[in-house]
Amino acid sequence: MNPLRQLFHRRKIEADMAEEMRFHLEQRMADQVADGLPPEEASFAAQRKFGNLASIQEQAREGRGWRWLGNFLRDLHLSGRSLLKSPGFTFLAILTLALGIGANTAMFSVLNTLLLKPLPYPDREQLDRIYRATPQNPDGNLAPADFLDLRRAQDGYGELAAYTAGDTSLAEPGRPAEMAYAARSTANLFALIGARPQLGRDFRPGEDTPGRDHVVILSRRAWLNRFGGRTDIIGRSIRVDGEPHQVIGVMPAAFNDWRSLGAIDFFRPLALSPVEAADRLSTVLRVVGRRAPARSPAETGGFIASFGARQAAAYPEANAESSWRAVPLQITAGGRGSLTVVPMLIGLSGFVLLIACSNLANLLLARTMARAREFAVRAALGASRTQLLRPLIAEALVLSLAAGVGALLAAQWFGDYLTVRSTGDNGEQVHFLLDWHVAGWALAASLGTALAFGLAPALFALRLDLNHTLKSGGRGTTGGRGHQRFRQALIIGQFALAMSLLAGAGLFIRGVYDLNNRRGGWESEHLLTGTILLPSAGYSDAEKITAFQRLALQRLTALPGVGSASLAAFTPFFSWPDSRKFLVEGRDRPPPGHEPAAVVNAVSPEYFDTVGTRILAGRAFNARDLAAAGQVFILGQGTARALFGSDNPVGRRLALAGDGKSQWGEIVGVVADVQPAAAETDSTVNQVYLPLAQEPRRSNEILVRTTGTATAPVADAIRATMAELDPDLPVRKLQTADTAINRANYQLGVLRDMLTTFALLGLGLASIGIYGVIARTMAQRTGEFAIRLALGASVPDITRLVLASGVKLALAGSLIGLLGAFGISRILAANFPGIHTSGNAILAGSTLLLVAVALVACWIPARRAGRVDVMTVLRAE
Amino acid sequence: MAKKEDLLQGTLDMLVLRVLSRGELHGWGITLKLEQLSKSALQVDEGSLYPALYRMEEKGWIEAEWKMTENNRRAKYYTLTRTGRKQLEEATGSWDRMTAIIALVMESA
Repeated sequence: MNPLRQLFHRRKIEADMAEEMRFHLEQRMADQVADGLPPEEASFAAQRKFGNLASIQEQAREGRGWRWLGNFLRDLHLSGRSLLKSPGFTFLAILTLALGIGANTAMFSVLNTLLLKPLPYPDREQLDRIYRATPQNPDGNLAPADFLDLRRAQDGYGELAAYTAGDTSLAEPGRPAEMAYAARSTANLFALIGARPQLGRDFRPGEDTPGRDHVVILSRRAWLNRFGGRTDIIGRSIRVDGEPHQVIGVMPAAFNDWRSLGAIDFFRPLALSPVEAADRLSTVLRVVGRRAPARSPAETGGFIASFGARQAAAYPEANAESSWRAVPLQITAGGRGSLTVVPMLIGLSGFVLLIACSNLANLLLARTMARAREFAVRAALGASRTQLLRPLIAEALVLSLAAGVGALLAAQWFGDYLTVRSTGDNGEQVHFLLDWHVAGWALAASLGTALAFGLAPALFALRLDLNHTLKSGGRGTTGGRGHQRFRQALIIGQFALAMSLLAGAGLFIRGVYDLNNRRGGWESEHLLTGTILLPSAGYSDAEKITAFQRLALQRLTALPGVGSASLAAFTPFFSWPDSRKFLVEGRDRPPPGHEPAAVVNAVSPEYFDTVGTRILAGRAFNARDLAAAGQVFILGQGTARALFGSDNPVGRRLALAGDGKSQWGEIVGVVADVQPAAAETDSTVNQVYLPLAQEPRRSNEILVRTTGTATAPVADAIRATMAELDPDLPVRKLQTADTAINRANYQLGVLRDMLTTFALLGLGLASIGIYGVIARTMAQRTGEFAIRLALGASVPDITRLVLASGVKLALAGSLIGLLGAFGISRILAANFPGIHTSGNAILAGSTLLLVAVALVACWIPARRAGRVDVMTVLRAE
Repeated sequence: MAKKEDLLQGTLDMLVLRVLSRGELHGWGITLKLEQLSKSALQVDEGSLYPALYRMEEKGWIEAEWKMTENNRRAKYYTLTRTGRKQLEEATGSWDRMTAIIALVMESA
């Protein structure tokens, strides 16, 4: 018979078996009555002969295959019932585990979404990102000239495409201009990765040449949000950067999976002007490649590396310190940092799970010990080891499967929360989905915990000393020294893990707080910032840009409520992505490409006044520092010290290395260093300022210090002024500096919240754990306490004894946990060099908090121990 | 009543298969047939018979079907399957060899 059918038609089979045997019995009876026996006697005889019906059926059942599965299901059923009989225990166990597995599963779903989910491109294993690593940036990009060189040699690799992303103005007739995050890509980008527009067409070869490049492909998100998802958008004209562009396509939603492209609102062809094509210094191109199928990753990786080395030798001033490498595109899918941060989060959520598990082990162990006598009796009556173990394992299994379901719900909720929390400025979202991988992970975690931590009490049951347990009349359940030690070890382990989580989170919270409130070298009160982008159409040359900037500053400064206004390439609070190399006059020239480097900002004359950066020596820029005048520099204090030591740098001369001109310019001032509130960069980099008029650029930061606290009306006035000056001119993210900092670091906030959640979960679970263990130990030592009290110990003595035993465990655990905390802070420090993750106060505070929690958790059992009624207890002995 | 012999270990399956090879029978019928064929020298314990039947059904040697007896009672009839027949041949063969060897040893010793 089909074993599965057997399993599910059990009732029918049992009935059949009974009927068959009844038939047999009746036949024998009839036979014997025919032989002359009186009917009653015949019935007795027949039954005697047949023996115990039930036992035969039992044996018959054993004869069937898949018996174990039947037994197993029965065990599950029974343990389900027995669990329902102690709802308190069951609820606690399931909740504990569900939280632990839930946290872990949620983190796995993040990993799954960001890193594991295959990119939606055909033959994606052939796709690479190509990085040009420099000491400043391991994931650096290529300059246009280098990319073009590489593409000319691409036969050694396969095929290459590139794109560059940045802010662009987007205007439609009759609506104020908006700023969008846009990419310019080589025409072959989509064809290369194997993605096709869901609507309209791809770029055509050759559309990435100047003059033919006025076409736009929208992302699905931009299409829905800005253009209402209308299909007649194809063929329509929109104004991008002040010039009409024709919309030719819309990319599908799956594009979001590769985060680097997912953040982009629309794509234009990358038509490099002759000047841009010769640029070896602006490393702005993100390069993607598809390996020729015939070549191995090692082969192409070697090709890229050696090509990089060749470029470094040929153009040392640009590439001397760089090394090139190809990285599988799939690895880069989650964006920067996710490769280390996400696995770290999985590890930390694993800590939470471990704490939950040791709670479960403790609970199950306590439950088993309470039933020690039952087990001893069953073993004495001849129950086999498997028969003893089966219900215990079944119980653990039922618990953890129920917890697994709870965990999936928790993970789903957490995923939704994360999606909302991590929504980008342009509505870009990551959907953390629960797919089969995640469900499988939850199931595996449940089964793993069931096995690992259901086994501890099961093994204990096996090692029961029958004689002792039976003789001691049930009091032999203190479990002996071995078990006591085992549970204490569990508690110490829990506290060690909780300490790691707590201190790790504490350090990070402190670090993020410091970062968001870091105002080193400038002042944030009443400071408004916003980004403007001059469309390339009307501002094609330096003179037009400078003229506009002068006009804009005049108008802004004249606005009511504005104390001081200025323009700059970058704000003081975010890191400056523009790094350049310098030569110092009168010194030996270092080998090309190895000159001292500094990040540069280009600022208008009033800038230092507006942002509140102090001038330490010399002067600020002034209205005479124009393009036609001599080049001037202002150094940050750190740069001044690095280049000139204690000498006064004012009056000395510098030149920008690598631009081929090596034109000397005078240092006119030294200002205080500013510390960027950015987590990814170390704040201790050298800073150099150039006059905005000598570095004209189309993207500028507006910085306005208002005279009053009401910034909103001033912001409105700024927007109106800009729209008046040029309707194609969007002002993006016009907000206070404080808001800008908090907003920019929102992803850190998400990470901080996750760490905090883990720490709180760990703390809560560990406190439940220590409470349970201490309470149980106390209950078992009631007799001892009664004797102590009878011999003259006072109640506070007993309370102190109990508290001390708990605090000892908590303290031991916390000290071990310091190691874990140290490890976590190292990982965080490596990923976020801008965040300072150290602080003895945090470590001490975490230890104190844990000990306090242990004290509170032990307080209730300690009080109970002190209130022992001596006579009752001793009589019961 | 004549003295009953206990069944030699492991021979019940073979005997049941042999009895069934002549045609389908229900459990009670098998008991009767074995008693009859052994001239009441063999007494089959029901406690062994039914587990053996279920075991063999499980192995696919025999098949069962509910049918009506001559007296219009529902009873479960067992028939030999093809694999059961093969099993019977094998068991018979090894039984013959075993008895021959035992006889040889018993006689020559």
